[in-house]
Amino acid sequence: MTKSSFEFAEMHWLMDVLQSIDVGLVILDRDYKIQLWNGFMENHSGLRPDEVHDKPLFESFRDIPETWFRQKAEPVFELKTRTFTIWEQRPYLFKFKNYRPITGRASTMYQNSSMIPLESIDGSVKHICLIIYDVTDIAVNQEDLTKANGNLAYLSQTDSLTELFNRGFWEEEFQREHKRCIRSHNPSSLVMFDIDHFKKVNDTYGHQAGDEVIRTVASVVRQTARQTDICGRYGGEEFTILLVDTDAAAAAQFAERLRKKIAAITVKTDDHEINFTISSGVAEFSAGFTKHTQWIEAADKALYHAKENGRNKTTVYQGK
Amino acid sequence: MGATAMTAISEDQRDCYQEITNVAMGQAADRLARLLDVYVILPIPKVNMISASELHMALADTTVNDDVSAVCQGFIGSGIAGEALLVFNDASFSDLASLMNYKGPLDRHGELELLMDVSSVLIGACIHGIGEQLEISFNQGHPVVLGQHCHVDDLVKSGNHQWSQTLAIEIHYEIENVNISCDLLLLFTEDSVAKINQQVDYLLD
Repeated sequence: MTKSSFEFAEMHWLMDVLQSIDVGLVILDRDYKIQLWNGFMENHSGLRPDEVHDKPLFESFRDIPETWFRQKAEPVFELKTRTFTIWEQRPYLFKFKNYRPITGRASTMYQNSSMIPLESIDGSVKHICLIIYDVTDIAVNQEDLTKANGNLAYLSQTDSLTELFNRGFWEEEFQREHKRCIRSHNPSSLVMFDIDHFKKVNDTYGHQAGDEVIRTVASVVRQTARQTDICGRYGGEEFTILLVDTDAAAAAQFAERLRKKIAAITVKTDDHEINFTISSGVAEFSAGFTKHTQWIEAADKALYHAKENGRNKTTVYQGK
Repeated sequence: MGATAMTAISEDQRDCYQEITNVAMGQAADRLARLLDVYVILPIPKVNMISASELHMALADTTVNDDVSAVCQGFIGSGIAGEALLVFNDASFSDLASLMNYKGPLDRHGELELLMDVSSVLIGACIHGIGEQLEISFNQGHPVVLGQHCHVDDLVKSGNHQWSQTLAIEIHYEIENVNISCDLLLLFTEDSVAKINQQVDYLLD
C-alpha cells in the first residue's frame, strides 16, 4: 500500500469503528443542531442520520431539558472544557430501551455522558461531541446495593422482637446526644424503665406470653413517644427513651403517661389475661455528667428508687 | 513526609510541581471565575509524597467537623495516572446555587448537579493545564460521587489500598465575599512519579 492509500484505508477503518462502536456519538454545532449521528444512536433511537441531520437536538428529543443541557454544554463551547453527566443526576439523556429488554430489570437504558470540545482550525470551539455510555448494569447493581445496605443497617440497628433500636445502636445515638448536650446545654432527659416482676410473667405464663408483653410495651412506647425521641430496648425487660430538648418535669410527665397506659393494658393469651406495670427512673442531663455512662447511672439509680418504693412508680433523679 | 528512596522527590522537583500546579490551577480558577462571574482567591498548592494513612489526615485537614460532599475522577496518559478529588463543604451549596443561577430545589439532587458542574470545570481545567505543561494529553474517566453529606473520613475507605505512597497536590479554593470553599486533591500513583520526574527534569534542563 502506498502511504496515501494507507491513510485512506485508515480513515475508512476509523469511520467504520465510529459507526459500529457500542457507544453513542453525536456532534452538535453552536446552535445544537445534530451534525453526526453514529450507528449506536441510530439503532437505539430508530432515527436515521438523514432524519436528524441539521435538526436542533431539542426538537428531535423533547425529553432532554433544554436549560439543563445548555448549562452542561455551554462551558464546553465557552471554556473549552470537558463536562460530564452521570446517571445519578438524570438516569438518561436519550430515552432508549434497556439493551437487555428481556432479562434486564430496568425498562430504560441508564446513561452517563461526556461532552468534549472539538476545536476548529482557528482554535475556537464551534462543535462539541456528545458521547453516550450505557451504564444500566452499573446503575441497577448500585441501586440494589444501596437498598441492601439500607436493609442491613436497619437490621443491625433494630431489636427484632420490639422493632425499637437495639442496645448497641441506641447507645451510639445516646452518646451523640450526650456530646450535643455538653456543647449546647439544652435540657434533654433520659427515661429508663423496666417491667415489674417480669420474671414471674415468664415463669407463670411461659416465654411466649412474656414476649407478647414485651411487644405490647414496645408498641405503647412507640405510640407515646415523639418522632424525635430515641427509644431502645436496653436489656431483657428494660427500656430506655431519650427525650431530646425535654426537661426533667416534662420527662416525668411522659413517664407517668406511659406508666398509666401500660397499667391499663391487658395482654390476652389463649388461657390467661395478664396485667402488668412498669417502674421508671428519669434523669435530666446535668453538666456534671462528663461521661455518658454517668447519665445512665443516674437514671438507673432513680429506677432503683422507684422499685424500692413499691414499683408501678416514676422517680426523678435528684442529683444526690 | 516519610518518602522512601524510590519515590522521593527533590526540592527542585517539588518547586517545579508547585510551579506547574500554580499555572494549571490558575487556569482552572480563571474558568471557575468565568463560569460563576466571581473573583477566585488563588491559594498556594501543597505538594507532598504521602502514605495511605496520611491521605486520611490530608482529607481530614480539608474540613473542620463539617459534613462534605465529594466527587473523584480518574485520569491517565503517557504512563502517568491518578485521581482528582473535589471535596465541597456542604455549607457552600446555598451560595453556589445563587452564583450558578440554579433555580430548582436545593435538595440532594440539586446539590449533585452543582457539584458535577463545578467539578467538571475545575478538575477538567486543572488536569488539562498540567497535561499541557507536561505535554501529555490525559484521558479522563467518568466522575464518581464519593459521598454526599458524609463525614470526610467516610469518603475514602481505609485499608486494602493497592498503593503505599502517592504524590498529593492539595489546592484550597475560596471565593471572595461568599461562603464557598472547596478542596481539590490531585493524587498521582507511585509509579507515575518517576515518569513525572522525568518530564519535570526535562523541563528543568
